[in-house]
Amino acid sequence: MSQLVIEMILKLGEFTAAERAEMYSKGGAFLVTSRILVVDMLNERVPFHKVAGIIVNNSHRMTETCAEAFIVRLYRSKNKAGYVRGISDQARGLTSGFMKMERVMKSLLVKKLNLWPRFHLSIATALEESPPDVVDIRVPLTPSMLAIQNAILEVMDACLKELRKTNKVDVEDLTVENGLFKSFDEIVRMQLDPIWHTIGRKTKRLVADLKTLRKLAEYLIRYDAVTFLKYLDTVRASEGVKSVWVFAGPAHRIFELAKRRVYQIVRTDGEQVESVVKQASRAGVELEVVAEEMPKWKVYKEILEEIQQEIQSRPADLPEDSWKSEARVLVACKDERTAWQLQRFILKGPEELMREEWNNYLLAKAELHGMTLRDKKKSRSKPQAQPQRKGKRKKRPDNTEQQVSEEPVIPLQNTGATDMSLEDVGASSLVPPVQYYALESDQYRILDTTGPSYVIVYDPDMKFVREMEVFKAKHPQRRLKVYFLFYEESTEGKKFEASIQRETTAFETLIRQKASMIIPVDQVSIQIIGYAFVYSWVGVLQTLDVPSPQAPNSVSSRKAGGRKNMEKHMQIVVDMREFSSSLPCVLHQQGMRILPVTLEVGDYVLSPEICVERKSIADLYASFSSGRLYHQAETMTRYYRLPVLLIEFSQDKSFSLQSANEVGDDIVPANIVSKMSLLVLHFPRLRIVWSRSLHATAELFATLKSNQDEPDAERAMRVGVPTEDGLIEGDVRAENYNTTAVEMLRRLPGVTDANYRTIMDGCKSLAELSIMPFEQLAELMGGQRPARMLRDFLDAKFPTL
Amino acid sequence: SAPAGAASGASNSQSRNAILVSRRQQGNPVLKFIRNVRWTFDDIVPDYVLGQSSCALYLSIRYHLLHPDYLYFRIRELQKNFRLRVVLCYVDEDVIKPLHEVTKTALLHDCSLLCAWSLEECARYLETIKMYENKPADNIQERTDQDYLSRLTSALTSVRHINKTDVVTLGSTFGSMASVMSASMEDLARCPGIGERKVKRLYDAFHEPFRRTSKQLRLSSVGIKPIQEAPK
Repeated sequence: MSQLVIEMILKLGEFTAAERAEMYSKGGAFLVTSRILVVDMLNERVPFHKVAGIIVNNSHRMTETCAEAFIVRLYRSKNKAGYVRGISDQARGLTSGFMKMERVMKSLLVKKLNLWPRFHLSIATALEESPPDVVDIRVPLTPSMLAIQNAILEVMDACLKELRKTNKVDVEDLTVENGLFKSFDEIVRMQLDPIWHTIGRKTKRLVADLKTLRKLAEYLIRYDAVTFLKYLDTVRASEGVKSVWVFAGPAHRIFELAKRRVYQIVRTDGEQVESVVKQASRAGVELEVVAEEMPKWKVYKEILEEIQQEIQSRPADLPEDSWKSEARVLVACKDERTAWQLQRFILKGPEELMREEWNNYLLAKAELHGMTLRDKKKSRSKPQAQPQRKGKRKKRPDNTEQQVSEEPVIPLQNTGATDMSLEDVGASSLVPPVQYYALESDQYRILDTTGPSYVIVYDPDMKFVREMEVFKAKHPQRRLKVYFLFYEESTEGKKFEASIQRETTAFETLIRQKASMIIPVDQVSIQIIGYAFVYSWVGVLQTLDVPSPQAPNSVSSRKAGGRKNMEKHMQIVVDMREFSSSLPCVLHQQGMRILPVTLEVGDYVLSPEICVERKSIADLYASFSSGRLYHQAETMTRYYRLPVLLIEFSQDKSFSLQSANEVGDDIVPANIVSKMSLLVLHFPRLRIVWSRSLHATAELFATLKSNQDEPDAERAMRVGVPTEDGLIEGDVRAENYNTTAVEMLRRLPGVTDANYRTIMDGCKSLAELSIMPFEQLAELMGGQRPARMLRDFLDAKFPTL
Repeated sequence: SAPAGAASGASNSQSRNAILVSRRQQGNPVLKFIRNVRWTFDDIVPDYVLGQSSCALYLSIRYHLLHPDYLYFRIRELQKNFRLRVVLCYVDEDVIKPLHEVTKTALLHDCSLLCAWSLEECARYLETIKMYENKPADNIQERTDQDYLSRLTSALTSVRHINKTDVVTLGSTFGSMASVMSASMEDLARCPGIGERKVKRLYDAFHEPFRRTSKQLRLSSVGIKPIQEAPK
């Protein structure tokens, strides 16, 4: 589903406003990002009366002030008959936080909630009628992997203990178990956010460290030994000095073991040397490449061979042709990278694969260059214990007669290594052709499009399990055999089991909540027939018969409608980029007219004189250190009589920049007070507005606008935009720019406010820029010096780690 | 009322390096925390004179609640004698309405409002503005003397969700910024830690044109299709 959405979104985003308006009026189904849709609705490009309904995806993310809620409200105010549906497959997302479900439903303006948990009777029976054949394979971790995993968990535990000591967080949720989940960050952040600006650097660091450690635990079982080491190196290089965990005792073990899984430095007499030896003492020392293989690889290979045998000995009751076409193998793994590696593993064998990874690694490691390689064949550690198989498992068919396969087969290259991990290379050197599926790519209905008979789940994933169940239920006559590969005693298995448990619990909570849910009729001021669905997987909804809504006959106008008309309709010009924030929505709630345009200067224009640059606290810090704020203050002051810097706090965070003890004894340049002081000294005309929350900002805007003229959108748009090149006129919008690319371009050395436009004129994309010769750059950038700076930067060799 | 206190008060060289404090401020606990800069009482119109052309008025939210008109009259007294007129507001109550009133008064009468949440912070603002009287803005301006890695980081992190570790990964894998920019989607996907979405974002940033054009071409290639026909 999301695959489709992404495709369409990207494409719709590329259209200009006029094109979109035309498309809307032609009709059809549209998948639009909320940011674009809000803007189109506000500019009245959407023919409201023609829109039959709106479906909001991922509705568990809704809040009262988010863009989607804004859309629903805009739609409702113009069209009372259409339907609104919210869909979510994240039961957990709807249970986190206070009254989350009610709030989501309120912001969707819907009254009815449908829950479709896996344990729902009708769903359970439908799915369990003809369940797929499941083989559950537990692969033991290698001793070194296990040791690294334990070390990571130990460091995590140590970090958690430290975090507890700070007395800033609730201890109960802080377990290593929870720490393995992404949602752990949320738990911690939710507790720390209200006091984030008052907590010490060390606590912040700990939170970041826990995130890193969680990733390490994940990558340990996902990446091969060499890649994992490479990643460790990068982590150490990029955040080593600042992090706390690197200095913890077990952390040393992580690094040491990870290294030893890949290479060892050995004396010629065979003794081991601890650390890396300097150039001078290299004599008598050599490098032994160990490059441990991933335990799953071997099992994976075996499964493929087993499948191949099964395919060749097709069941008697099936005609050959249909069996051949049906016997497809799908391998589900975490990402493109894993898929690519597994493919190479099958093609080249583990030895060659690891050699390639190793060579790759060497490129970035200068210190290991030039060391003599030790002949490794004899000293290699032997493969680990045989994996044990659990669950029901069919005996391997005895019929092994070799058939000439018509399917394209991938021949195995024997690399000549004596200790290839395949004992039975001779017996069946053929593996069936397989299709890889990266779970991360989230492809739309992959199972329907490939129609496999065999699925190997290389990386277990709950969502995919659900998809398989539905697929099997839809095709009960099909054969479907599923192999699950788990690492035994690993975080992977734990995570999988816990994720199922969590979902069940979430649904139980939702069911309880639904029973006692109160929907205040007077809050939802329009009579609405709408639904919110929570379903635990993708397939079911597609076959659901959704009753079509009837047009409600009692339509009450918005309560505030009458009162607001008393005042003159206030207008505010809002920069397009601000629509990712909630303020435009809140302003609209206040009864103001929002004019979305692209502003070169400022974020909001309240009147011909007042221009506002809005900064959240995080933005404020970031833009001080990047120098962006200085620049923005400069341009605002140049073009407006009342340039305003709005510092907006968050309602649920503390209302202060720092606590009294953080002020310190001395004047420190890095302190926010010093920066604010410099700002007011250099821009005495810049007005500073401190707002407690979003809603406070909206009120403030209303106050500031009284006695002021209404702003002119056309004029606001032209402010600060150079017109001499004739390019920038009314029709050019932010949506016509690749904003990320432009931002990156402007951050490159040599690129300035003065020359980035000419660069964009003379060069299509960053990729093109990267290969542009110096002379051409000099011409575009208006000088040799900036061009030299840019070219040098682009070509500079990245320092080896 | 008397013209600016700044000129007359600064007659002796001693007071030029000190914050001049109005006698009205006697007993203000903020004074206890002004430690990095000397201060002396003087007969001045504003509460504090922080330099040749900078002054400050002090106000706490609680005081404003008692005397809502106080600030307005004090600002009016200042006339146009200072380039920088700070209203230093001690936020001792977390209530929105009085702060709004203070904000509005300051904004419409050409004052820069600074909020502080402790007496220490109030004092620090006074000290810093005095100390930084003639300081250039380098500290808050874009720095150009950066090392290679920070520059690379600054450029690449303009792509959403790309972190410092990713920057090192990209740099060490491809060797230079130019090669990162011209990398294929597959090559990007092979970097550890760079997931599907990051790959897409990076690739788009590098290869999508700066300016989106050729509308006709896109229109015909995509067209308007109902949902069920779109996926392959």
